[in-house]
Amino acid sequence: MVPLSWYLALSAVLFTIGVVGVIIQRNVIVLFMCVELMLNAVNLTLVSFSRYLGDITGQLFVFIVMAVAAAEAAVGLAIIISLFRNRETLNVDEADLLKL
Amino acid sequence: MQLETLNLNYWAIAPEVIVSITAVVIMLIDAFSKRGAHRANATTAMIGLVLALISVATLGRVGVGSYFAGMVVIDPIRIFFSITILIVAILVVLLASQFLSDEGLPPGEFYSLIMFATSGMLLLASAGDLVTVFLGLEIASITTYVLAGYRRYDIRSNESSLKYFLLGSFSTAFLLYGMALTYGATRTTNLDGIRQAIASGQIIYPQLLMIGAAMMLVGFGFKIASAPFHLWTPDVYEGAPTIVTGFMGTGPKAAVFAAFLRVFVGSFDVPVEGFGLQLHNTWITAIAVIAILTMTVGNVIALSQKNIKRMLAYSSIAHAGYALVGFVTGNFATVAFYMLAYSIMNIGAFAVIQILARAGDQKTQIADYSGIGFEVPGLSFSLAVFLMGLAGIPPTAGFISKFFVFTNAWESVPALRYLVIAAVINSIISVYYYLYPIVVMFFRPLNPGFVRPRVTRTTALAIIPDSARHLLSGVDA
Amino acid sequence: MKEYLPILIVFIFVTGFAVTNIIASHLIGRRKNTRAKLMPYECGMDPVGSAHQRFSVKFYLVAMLFILFDIEAIFLVPWAVVFRELIQRLSRPFVFIEMMLFIGVLLVGYVYVWKKGLFEWNS
Repeated sequence: MVPLSWYLALSAVLFTIGVVGVIIQRNVIVLFMCVELMLNAVNLTLVSFSRYLGDITGQLFVFIVMAVAAAEAAVGLAIIISLFRNRETLNVDEADLLKL
Repeated sequence: MQLETLNLNYWAIAPEVIVSITAVVIMLIDAFSKRGAHRANATTAMIGLVLALISVATLGRVGVGSYFAGMVVIDPIRIFFSITILIVAILVVLLASQFLSDEGLPPGEFYSLIMFATSGMLLLASAGDLVTVFLGLEIASITTYVLAGYRRYDIRSNESSLKYFLLGSFSTAFLLYGMALTYGATRTTNLDGIRQAIASGQIIYPQLLMIGAAMMLVGFGFKIASAPFHLWTPDVYEGAPTIVTGFMGTGPKAAVFAAFLRVFVGSFDVPVEGFGLQLHNTWITAIAVIAILTMTVGNVIALSQKNIKRMLAYSSIAHAGYALVGFVTGNFATVAFYMLAYSIMNIGAFAVIQILARAGDQKTQIADYSGIGFEVPGLSFSLAVFLMGLAGIPPTAGFISKFFVFTNAWESVPALRYLVIAAVINSIISVYYYLYPIVVMFFRPLNPGFVRPRVTRTTALAIIPDSARHLLSGVDA
Repeated sequence: MKEYLPILIVFIFVTGFAVTNIIASHLIGRRKNTRAKLMPYECGMDPVGSAHQRFSVKFYLVAMLFILFDIEAIFLVPWAVVFRELIQRLSRPFVFIEMMLFIGVLLVGYVYVWKKGLFEWNS
């Protein structure tokens, strides 16, 4: 059997790719995909723990996460569309009306 | 597993169920009526919230304990935070009717989103398991993302919503990763089970639990807008419609504080020899650092704000810092009372600001408030009361709640007295920027062309008892 | 690691087959481009217009609704799989009613989007 640490390392790498993507990317859709990648990395962690600990809770948690991620995707896309309708851009740097 | 061992008692989730059903009913009323039945929606929402409040009051009779296989618990913290959340929701529903009719926005969706958010927050306050914490948090957050962008054709509202959404879901991922690692380390997602696992000293992977706790701290830190993770707050608070700002600065924040308390003080705080003590010391230090940083950053930046919504955004950051002081004592009650007092003050302040800002949030600069003190005495006096409460000037509830938190921390944790000293110094700094709008309102000349704002009956119904309650709770406590 | 050897062999074989074929056809094949050959789908619908134009936002709406209703299957399928086992352990009406409540909530959502006119393409 593939050891647990491999799965954990893979999901940690995926999660990090997501984090780095959110920090350096400028396109809203890509940012959004990076967040989804982070969530799916967590799902991988949960499933592998569930398998190795012989405990079903982790898999149940993954179902909930997937449902929530779908809801988040729908709301996120709706927000992006309404911004695009008013602004005609997908670059987050141009969403600068509210200055820090 | 038998049905009995699951401990299914539907009375234990009655408030959540009532609020969700109300939300669904409002959705259907909205779908089947031709031109947004405003009155019917608002009335339904109000009835649902009052019924939920009654069912919260009867939770004590259902019995303290855990239900639904440990997913939901009934205890004093839940009841207290649920009451806070429902009061916030009732105030928002009262205030919403004027906002929606002034701006010509569709009413049905607003009320049902508020109700769904409320059900999520109630679930968050009653969570006995990491799964329920996550679910409640997401129900509350996703609805709030939409509410922030409710003024669909206003670009500031769009931006606020987008920023809130991106950073909110980013932080959720951190929180979730922390939960996954905690699950891996302790083999359970039940908060009580995690506590027992740490107490027994049989953690499978202690390092994983440490990283998991740190990740969850980051996630919760984002949600309550504490210092290194607060950057989204002013932008989101400024761009969202004022009433929504009032809502998301109070209700979800109080609910996240409840979950934060449950997870960190309730489950991770087991100072037994070995790993438990190590974890305890680490997170207490982290919280102390975050608390000081949060208070200082919030107060110092608030000093230089010209826009009152941004000023209150930084003020809410500072208040998260004060509430975190209550964490180090492990005393739930002080934090719960603090969040109640803070929620009432904050939502009241935003209610007045919303009326003074007019439709479209045009007048939110402090300079716009010049000399209105004797022109609209009712509104100005209420705003002054709320701002003094936020500053913590006696005899308001703001003072009493701060006093409780600080004295409790001073007496019970001598090692962290520097934290209390920092908090008191910060409170003194904050008096300046809270008093500034009051001075502008009462002692500056009136702007030419000032038009008295319209105040409807329901709005007055929300503001007057709110400020009275706020003053009174300070007096008798 | 030994049990993974067959997978490695299959992997090498598959890759080798594909690469060999591409190289072989590149070297010995004759190139004669006709209009039909250059279409995205050689046998299928003829493409209409350019692919780089904006789509109606209605496609987005349909896609979003699809995501939302599609994901609910992950709750239905496990329930259906363990249904027989579940009714022996828990009471039969309980297991059934719980899922009907879930579907009922979905139905309310469906009625809502329907009444809001999201399925009317020409509005």
